Amino acid sequence: MIQLFKVCKSYGTNKALDDINLRMRKGEFVFITGPSGAGKTTLLRMIFGTARPTSGQILIDGINLSRIGRLKLDLLRRKIGFVFQDFKLINSKTIFQNVALALEVAGERPAIIRKKTHQALRAVGLSGKEKAFPLELSGGEQQRVAIARAIINEPMLLIADEPTGNLDPDITKEIMVLFRSVNLKGTTLVIATHNRELLKDTGQRIIALDKGRVIEERTG
Amino acid sequence: MIIRLWIYFLKTALANILNNRLIHLISMGTITISMLLFGAFMLLSMNMNNWIRQWGESLSMSVYLNDGIDEKARKEVESAIKNFTGAEIKGFITKEQAIANLKEGLGEQAGLLEGLEDIVLPESYEITFKDRAGSSIDPKVVKSTLEKLKCVDEVQYSQQWVDRFEGVMDMFRVVGLAIGGLLCMAVLFIISNTIKLTIYSRRDEIEIYKLMGATDWFVKVPFLIEGAAQGVMSGIAALLILVLSYSVISLKTIDILGLPVINIAFLSSEGCFFIILLSLVLGLLGGFISIGRFFKS
Repeated sequence: MIQLFKVCKSYGTNKALDDINLRMRKGEFVFITGPSGAGKTTLLRMIFGTARPTSGQILIDGINLSRIGRLKLDLLRRKIGFVFQDFKLINSKTIFQNVALALEVAGERPAIIRKKTHQALRAVGLSGKEKAFPLELSGGEQQRVAIARAIINEPMLLIADEPTGNLDPDITKEIMVLFRSVNLKGTTLVIATHNRELLKDTGQRIIALDKGRVIEERTG
Repeated sequence: MIIRLWIYFLKTALANILNNRLIHLISMGTITISMLLFGAFMLLSMNMNNWIRQWGESLSMSVYLNDGIDEKARKEVESAIKNFTGAEIKGFITKEQAIANLKEGLGEQAGLLEGLEDIVLPESYEITFKDRAGSSIDPKVVKSTLEKLKCVDEVQYSQQWVDRFEGVMDMFRVVGLAIGGLLCMAVLFIISNTIKLTIYSRRDEIEIYKLMGATDWFVKVPFLIEGAAQGVMSGIAALLILVLSYSVISLKTIDILGLPVINIAFLSSEGCFFIILLSLVLGLLGGFISIGRFFKS
């Protein structure tokens, strides 16, 4: 599903990623961990195509991101869900509109958009909150909206950057349960976190980064 | 699919306009003023052209006589004038009348003539030619024929003024083009900056759209529609104000310097269409410039 070959990324003289070689299988649940500045976000941005490597190759589902055009990258992103620490919701749109946006962008029919949006909101436990605006919800609820939006397209890959960074431990557990249920349906999950509690007894693959290099690979 | 997409674009553009209505209203007001100036200039230019054309078609002449000529010589001039087909003597202007006309023409400035007791203006005949259009009267031949008479000092005709005025009109057209060009640039600048403001106020939203896999055009089209809508609405508003001003101003006819009375005409339907089309093009172009710059950066 995801292959990285000798990937390096530099910002000026600062090396954010250094000679990264990784392979993640389809349906895998992978944690990327490490301290702040280790290169976790940069690695996710590379996989998502919002940043290009200085050298090396990245393949997503067999597509080389270095050789892909702008339009094809847009089309590829429709198959990839994303969840960020700051939720990235549009505050002027309702919860329903925020979630539906992912399908509108893909040119889906209104009837299907309505049906799938309600299904996605039900899956994250937010039925009845369709007409609310993001700022009327709690942090945990906002992150659930972001997850609903990420899964509505039934993506092959879901990327999450510190998805529980702003949430309390109870809500964090709820969000992780949601991620596991998404993974069980066959979606590959890559989650970047520096929260060690999250990695305890997960039974999932953990890749530890430090100063832009992979320093450890283990199962949690 | 395409119809669905365009419905989505139109709804998004409308929502954007409503969400940023103050910015759009200010921008539309400014564009309306610019387009109003542009339309007024078109109207003025068109009427001046018409005026000059009509003026040229209704030939009138002033035949100035030498000083101290007798009744016999005047009769000679009159019969020479009447020999021309369609020529009609509108009046004989005596020296006293000529001075009175001059004073009247000067209005409040007539005081300038006080103290000039010795001022002498020549007597003259005012003549016109009926149905000049279609006739074969050559004003130059009339002028030279009459000036050959001993008692005639000079013959002046309106065509000379028209010819002179044509030069002024050419200059007017060049100035008009320059002002029109500047106004278009101003409108472009206003629209592109308004759209830029709305783009920057929604840059986080655009980033989210792009993260979800929206194509560049999916993001761009609503902004272009915003620009076009701004342009068209401002163009229509400018035209409405122009129509209102035109109907409110009761002076639909003007009589300048005793020349033939003319009607002020409003822009043709093509002229109105041109203003709206120009507004639309400028709006679209303004949108293109700002969204293009945003995506480049």
